Amino acid sequence: MTAHIIRRLLLMLPNVALLTFLLFVSVASLLGSPSAMMLGQDASPEAIAELNAIYGFDRPVLVQYADWMTSALQGDFGRSFTTQQSVAEAVLPRIPITLELAFWSIVLAIAGATTINSIPVARRFIGSSASGLAIVGITVPNFMIGICLIYLFSVELRWLPTTGWVPWSDGVGAHLTHLIMPVVTLTAFYFGSFTLVYQAEYRAVSRELYIKVARAKGLSETRVSFRHILPNSMLPVITYAGLSLGQLVGGAVVTETVFSIPGIGRLFVESIGTRDFPVMLAIGMVIIVGVMLMNLIADLVYTAVNPQIRLG
Amino acid sequence: MVSSRLLLGLGIIVTIAGAGILAPLIAPHDPIRTGSVFLGLPTSENWLGTDDLGRDIFSRILYGTQTSLVIGFGAAIVATLIGVPIGLVGGYLRGKTDLVVVQMIDLFVALPGLVLALILTAMLGPSIPNLTLVLGFVMWPTMARLVRGQVLQIREAVFVEAARALGGRDSWIVYEHIWPNTIRIVSAQFAITVSFAIFTSASLSFLGLGVPPPTPDWGSMVREGFQFLALRPLMSIAPGAAVTFTILGFYLVGSSIER
Repeated sequence: MTAHIIRRLLLMLPNVALLTFLLFVSVASLLGSPSAMMLGQDASPEAIAELNAIYGFDRPVLVQYADWMTSALQGDFGRSFTTQQSVAEAVLPRIPITLELAFWSIVLAIAGATTINSIPVARRFIGSSASGLAIVGITVPNFMIGICLIYLFSVELRWLPTTGWVPWSDGVGAHLTHLIMPVVTLTAFYFGSFTLVYQAEYRAVSRELYIKVARAKGLSETRVSFRHILPNSMLPVITYAGLSLGQLVGGAVVTETVFSIPGIGRLFVESIGTRDFPVMLAIGMVIIVGVMLMNLIADLVYTAVNPQIRLG
Repeated sequence: MVSSRLLLGLGIIVTIAGAGILAPLIAPHDPIRTGSVFLGLPTSENWLGTDDLGRDIFSRILYGTQTSLVIGFGAAIVATLIGVPIGLVGGYLRGKTDLVVVQMIDLFVALPGLVLALILTAMLGPSIPNLTLVLGFVMWPTMARLVRGQVLQIREAVFVEAARALGGRDSWIVYEHIWPNTIRIVSAQFAITVSFAIFTSASLSFLGLGVPPPTPDWGSMVREGFQFLALRPLMSIAPGAAVTFTILGFYLVGSSIER
């Protein structure tokens, strides 16, 4: 198993290198000349050239990339153009916030989609409305869900705080009340797509012979559903969850913006707005590596829970 | 058999497209000209009220239809033009070509589409043609993957074997026998791509990095209205409902063709 994980990690390296290089080239071309941006419209060409030389923007892109990657691997992502703060210091504390948001959303979506769609009574009475709900989850944009939640629960009912983020250390209650709406917003899409995937697999599994046997033994419908069908219908949901992590990051970007959550998604949007080159690059890299690692983890979980797959 | 889901979806699309095409005729006001009543409540003059610059929200929503449909259809066409040939070639030729195709698709599918679109739009500059190209480019891998999967099945069918036995060239077999059998899945995915392109474009605009002002655009309208949510909820919820409704229409059509 360890050898397998190490091999998979090594296989990731060329992809990470390729993607970060493409990222670097896009960001570099996006700015044209960051020095011109920093100095403003009235800057003389000489002043721009001088600043280019100081920052090294006049060198070939490949050299700049190699340079950036070398320092990045040592944990040095440069300084923000706008705040002059160290990029690593600006980005690192925000990562756990985005991770927490993503974690609860995925857990809630998987747990919700599999349990709700396994309850026999619910399946009989709301079978079709559950897929209706799934379609709503898939098609309503996150910002719309977020805005409607804020309007209903913060503006009208005044039950929950509008926006912002309170860390665990400042109170568990406040942390949770600030967490509820963003997590629900981010969960909706995944709940929807997981429901569709799970329902399809559930139908396929319930036609299996061993399910007939379980029923013939006189087991209750609930027991058949939760003990026999659910565990055997989980795999496609896990695979799908792994594949949709990229989209989860996109959802987090929007959700963090709606709820003013200081995660990496919001910082990323801000850095694009202000053309903050080093911050964009650092977050881009965190996202690329993060999504690939998560995909790998999803793959390993899949292998672990499915004994049919042998590691070769 | 025509499902009720397909009919509902088509109904929504026809309504939306009608509103977009007829916008110049039915819109009561100029969607861009600013007025003197700011953040006005709904009246018989301004059905959904006015925004912070005094523009008529209802007219802006009607014109916003055009923006969304142009970007949605444009992006789906781009995604189809890139994705279908790549999927056909990869699935039909298999071997090394297919390996390259699969590698490319896997690389893109794992990436966050929205984040990719954010970077590319910032790079090219936010405008409607650029957004269309970027969204099409972000969405082609899904199309290619579906087509490739379909071709892998079709190429083993007896009629393809017969065509090959007749001595047909590969290009002829793909064009005459394989491509027609992928049209169903391509049209389903086309509709779904339209819906997700509109979804993503609205998200980009909501983040302030999509369609630039003053073009009437639903995502930008939601963004502008969001700051006045407590005061004038309709200003953001009405355009948000329009975009949701449109996404739903195309998604329903796409998902019912698929089955």
